[in-house]
Amino acid sequence: MSRVKRIAKELEECKQDSHSGVSLKLNNETDLTHLTGVFKGPPGTPYEGGNFQVDINVPSEYPFKPPQMKFITKIYHPNISSVTGAICLDILKDAWSPILTLKSSLISLQSLLQSPEPDDPQDAEVAKHYLSDKKGFNDTAAYWTKIYASDVDAGQAELSDSALYGIDNDIVVQFENMGFPRDKTIEVLRRMGIKNLNSVSNKSETENKILEELLKECQ
Amino acid sequence: MKVQVLEWNAVASWHWDLKVDDSGVADELCGICRVPFDGTCPSCKYPGTDCPLILGDGCTHNFHLHCILKWLEQDTSKGLCPMCRQVFVYKRIKNMGTSEELHNLQVLIEGHKAMRERENEENEFDSFEDDVRMTD
Repeated sequence: MSRVKRIAKELEECKQDSHSGVSLKLNNETDLTHLTGVFKGPPGTPYEGGNFQVDINVPSEYPFKPPQMKFITKIYHPNISSVTGAICLDILKDAWSPILTLKSSLISLQSLLQSPEPDDPQDAEVAKHYLSDKKGFNDTAAYWTKIYASDVDAGQAELSDSALYGIDNDIVVQFENMGFPRDKTIEVLRRMGIKNLNSVSNKSETENKILEELLKECQ
Repeated sequence: MKVQVLEWNAVASWHWDLKVDDSGVADELCGICRVPFDGTCPSCKYPGTDCPLILGDGCTHNFHLHCILKWLEQDTSKGLCPMCRQVFVYKRIKNMGTSEELHNLQVLIEGHKAMRERENEENEFDSFEDDVRMTD
């Protein structure tokens, strides 16, 4: 009972406040425990210009237990799973306090986008990308924002399979020209964790390794 | 002119007497249930002495007794004030809450204290082990 009353109050407060840039809506008018939160990507980050939707499930022990949140919008971020949208944030786990609200949790998520914590990752592959190649990471994150989080119809933006994984298109083309199928090349490069060959010291050795894997893959 | 009083109804209003905090403003809402202090916590029907407030001692944060009890029942609370995350202790005020509820509050606070002390001991033990390894 206490849960429903509090959520109703929070919804009302959130409706009246228009300048925080965070909004909450019920998935179903008759159920106050399943909501969707929406907020804008913070300016000056690769998430700028995106609208991010978060699935919110309020447990019966709320506000003594944290709400369960995960991203509906696909997002490229070290602390958010690029596959499931699961979030690694302390206040949604053991640092929760009952004075926090659904709105303040969404604002915390917004600031998580501003300052990632790659040392405590949810998505290890993305975190590795962030730590090893900040620029490449930013490009990929911005690309994901454009494809998945923009109001623009996704069909209008040109979908590039290599950019989606932060892989340099040149290297994909290089192997495509040798006659390997594009999807297989990207699959192998993803598995090997190779995004480009510019920063690699022993370029030809790496190329041979990729070749070996590709031959195995295409047998 | 003569006035004849046919009927009268006495009306009284009451208000919790709360100390203002450092910023000079008294928090009017319980931070846990977001209901004004003069109202009841969500599990009570009548406001007043049946649903009393608990004043933080050390920190200046106040809550409905029933709300802070529910919070301290959670292991994840670690016995901390929800507002400032200091160890929560309360001011003893006469005639507030049933003695049973206050007893429960005291038990919960002591339980968290014991838990913290146990954790500290374990940490000390770990660092002791590290020292031993260093001297090897």
